[in-house]
Amino acid sequence: MPSPSPLKKKLVLISLLAFALPARAQTGGELHFCLRGEPKTFNPILVDDDASENIRYLTGGVLIRLNRQSQALGPALATSWSVSHDRRTITFHLRKGIHFSDGTPFTSEDVAYTMRLLMDPETHSPTGDAFRSSEGAVQVQTPAADVAVITFPAPIAGLERLFDQVAILSAHSPKKEMAVLGPFYVADYKAGSYVLLHKNPNYWKHDAQGQALPYIDSVRLDIQRNRDIELLRFRRGELQLINRLEAEQFERLQHDNPAVTRNAGTGLDAEELWFNQSPAAPLPEYKKAWFSTKEFRKAISLAINRADLCRIVYAGYAKPAYGPVSPSNHFWFNASLEDPKYDPQVALNLLTQAGFRLDNDTLKDRAGNRVEFTIVTNSGNAAREKIAAMIQQDLSQVGIKVNVVTLDFPSLIERITRTFDYDACILGLVNTDLDPSGQMNVWLSSGENHQWNPSQKTPATAWEAEIDKLMREQATAATEKERKGKFDRVQQIVAEQQPFIYLINKDVLVAVSSNVVGAAPVVLNPAGFWNVDILRLGPASEFGVQK
Amino acid sequence: MRTRRRLRAVCVAVLCVIFVVGLFAGTVSPYSYSKQFRERPNAAPSSSHLLGTDSLGRDLFARLIYGTRVSLLLAPAAALLATLIAGLLGGFAGFMGGWCEKLILSAADLSMALPLLFVLLALRAVLPLDIPPILSVIATFILLGLLGWPSSLRVVWAATKNLKNSDFLLLARATGCTRWRMIARHVLPNLRPILLAQFWISIPVFVLTEATLSMLGLGVTEPLPSWGNLLRGLEDISGVSANPWRLSPLILLVLVVICFQLILPAQEETA
Amino acid sequence: MLAVLCFAGGLLSASLVRLAPGYGVDERELDPRLSQASMEAIRNAHRVNSNLLSYYGRYLARAIRGDLGSSEWLQQPISSLFKERFPVTAKSVASGVLLAWGIALAISLANVLFPGFFVEISGTLVSGLFIVLPAAVVAIFSVYLHAPVFLAIAVVTFPKLFRYLRNLLGHAYSQPYVLAAQARGIGQARILFHHVLPLVSPALFALLGVSLSLAFGAAIPIEALCDSPGVGQLAWQAALNRDLPLIVNLTLLITLITVAANSLANVANERAL
Repeated sequence: MPSPSPLKKKLVLISLLAFALPARAQTGGELHFCLRGEPKTFNPILVDDDASENIRYLTGGVLIRLNRQSQALGPALATSWSVSHDRRTITFHLRKGIHFSDGTPFTSEDVAYTMRLLMDPETHSPTGDAFRSSEGAVQVQTPAADVAVITFPAPIAGLERLFDQVAILSAHSPKKEMAVLGPFYVADYKAGSYVLLHKNPNYWKHDAQGQALPYIDSVRLDIQRNRDIELLRFRRGELQLINRLEAEQFERLQHDNPAVTRNAGTGLDAEELWFNQSPAAPLPEYKKAWFSTKEFRKAISLAINRADLCRIVYAGYAKPAYGPVSPSNHFWFNASLEDPKYDPQVALNLLTQAGFRLDNDTLKDRAGNRVEFTIVTNSGNAAREKIAAMIQQDLSQVGIKVNVVTLDFPSLIERITRTFDYDACILGLVNTDLDPSGQMNVWLSSGENHQWNPSQKTPATAWEAEIDKLMREQATAATEKERKGKFDRVQQIVAEQQPFIYLINKDVLVAVSSNVVGAAPVVLNPAGFWNVDILRLGPASEFGVQK
Repeated sequence: MRTRRRLRAVCVAVLCVIFVVGLFAGTVSPYSYSKQFRERPNAAPSSSHLLGTDSLGRDLFARLIYGTRVSLLLAPAAALLATLIAGLLGGFAGFMGGWCEKLILSAADLSMALPLLFVLLALRAVLPLDIPPILSVIATFILLGLLGWPSSLRVVWAATKNLKNSDFLLLARATGCTRWRMIARHVLPNLRPILLAQFWISIPVFVLTEATLSMLGLGVTEPLPSWGNLLRGLEDISGVSANPWRLSPLILLVLVVICFQLILPAQEETA
Repeated sequence: MLAVLCFAGGLLSASLVRLAPGYGVDERELDPRLSQASMEAIRNAHRVNSNLLSYYGRYLARAIRGDLGSSEWLQQPISSLFKERFPVTAKSVASGVLLAWGIALAISLANVLFPGFFVEISGTLVSGLFIVLPAAVVAIFSVYLHAPVFLAIAVVTFPKLFRYLRNLLGHAYSQPYVLAAQARGIGQARILFHHVLPLVSPALFALLGVSLSLAFGAAIPIEALCDSPGVGQLAWQAALNRDLPLIVNLTLLITLITVAANSLANVANERAL
């Protein structure tokens, strides 16, 4: 009998090996991607910039985790929790037998310590401020090692979801904030270069088979500001993930290698244009009159071709936006509002109603002043500059002359928050929070971020007064349904008055190398690596290496 | 020698053509530099758009020509300003010597140490928002001129010191010529060739500086085009290989600077 | 003299930062999640530095003791930032200048030892090609070609250096006694080392100074665009963020280096004249 051919032998060998291999997840490897800026702190209490927040997500252990995919809250370090009737007290039952990355045991004392630090009046961070709905101290009781009871001076809307941002610090560890409960811990940091994270051997989470998570051994985060260089490195195979790509880059990558591009859908971020309505602005009176006229603002909104903005500036990876809430925010979005259609003729009619008239392709107001204003935006953001240039052309169709000036960020901020020496501004709204309570400072007329006319002593207009009332009511309403009803009305008022003219909602675009298994980019931050603990690195089958 | 002269003539001709085209940009270019043809973004070169369109659908050929106007007309103005200041101060320093010389040289060193980028940032922020974009560009170039003199200063200073020790000046001193007369009638006219050389050398330097500044976001603001502005498109590296006609501003810039370099006689450059 | 210049430079740039619009504002003021109290605290933190002269006085007093203060934007002590970043820049600048000098010397010597139109025009073209590229474009190409930063610096420094060097050597080799030595049949190496070099060495030192300050100046946009963690990138980011302590320190550093380089040039020039 002839011996089996070499090929047959090989096949038999391979199939034997395949069965012999344990049916377990492949582990190990290093995930390599970039931070867009220098992390300012590793202390989770003080985090207020993106890079630090990403590191906090990767290293911090939280009591309640918001599942970025389902947008529902789930247990993490707390196995269960309950909120009292008056919504001032929350009781956590903690997981037992957990240790920090350096071995220190985790108990309710650590929760108390973290809350005390967070609520310290000297600490000024967005995380802590979210809990500060009014004056008064926060009480934390630890009746048992695995029970923590936190009482706030006043009820807080959406209390549980705020704990997704609170990474628990160790009260006793000698390593202070470097001892963590998350899937990774900071092993090395070279300023300006990289942050290296190693797998936390004491991470509490296990997969369904009981294997300890995370699967990957380490995460290397390079500090890379330049997006083009980042893309280049991804194509070369040096990076496995780009969290949030620019639309043009995404389009090109998709053209070359569609397998690595993922569009998670319409995001929560918006670009908006607003007019300066501050009475303190050093602008001529007639300009102030234009900007405070509702018809003027609505006409501008109607005259802007948002579909073109989405198609040209974002290569189609964006949707027109008409309100502060993105349609991806399923619960809070007011779907009953009608989207105004782009129509320069209707815009002109509105302007004529308000006393403007078209005179030889030039729009003039009642007094004969030519309608002309300047839009400021920050330099260095190519998309925003393009949006401004396109709005310039759109508004010239209704006879309005627009100048565009780009300024560096500090100068821009000075103009819009201190001197109020500007006509109109285009900036982006970065929405990390689904709940509108996080935006109180924007909608309250006394708020510092009520950008068109901040820090008012008393509401300047009736509609702003109404928004104030509605926002306060929704913060203390008993049920979520009531809250939604109030905030729906706020969205309606915003649509009628157009204090912010919303332009577009960007899509969340992620690039993931095909050797990363388990990646499922979503709309909420961090889009690409929210499930980092279950990501695996497989063999490089088809790297993102092109050109 | 003959080849050199012929080469120089060709370069001058090329520069004149580009200069004239830039000057009459309105007549030469078929479209306005800011008109967006939104149905045709990133179009390849065609009969209607000679160099294609940019990401907003604006005709690149029109933008290139208008950009030539900005860069090629304003850079010589800045160079003139810088050379005049350098000439005056350098001549003064070289001639007077002593603490005057020390002061001027220190001021030059200090001026070179100042972060130019920061001064320009500050200037942009200070300018009122409603001035027409062309005025902000002119202000930028004036500032470049005001800050660009230190590099030319040393050349002028060294030349003046050489002159000071020359025979004819000694003779003038001996015949009782006053200081001011010496400066006006003897020093400055002899400095003229050096100043002229510095002027020609500075022009491409200012063009390049403006290009670098625009690429960093500090130069000419949109929608007004300039070469630096147009070169920002190069930052998107993969985009360039997809649309190679985007390199046309760089090619034009390189051509113009090479022409300037070849016009200049080699001997007139000394450390 | 050096000390006075540095002091003046530091004060000048400090006043520029302080008086330019945008000082004392923080990006965090646009964050709606911060409470009123936090905003106030952020604003007050910047007001501490508002009196310029007293700030500068305090800074100098601490600097003499070695404490360079702390960066507002990065929240790190400046001395450690410098310690980390300066070697990166120093290495790229030094390597870049060395490379530029090596190539410039090689080509200029070739020019004088093997004269001819072809050699001359190729030298002109090569240097011409590099001089026309804006520093920013060179930076971008070096990123695209995966080239190290010092290569970009070398490319930017080379052209001017080459032209001066070529003229210098041309001038030296046309001296009557060098021609006489050549006619006598003395070896090229001996001519170079015994006759030409002693003549041009003061000017060479001047050129070294100029090329160092040129390279250092080019390092800022190049590092900013290549994202290289050196002093140049720090300077650019500090300017964008209006970080007063950092800018003052950086200006002092840059003034020190520029003035030192130019003093070298001055001394050499004086000896030559």
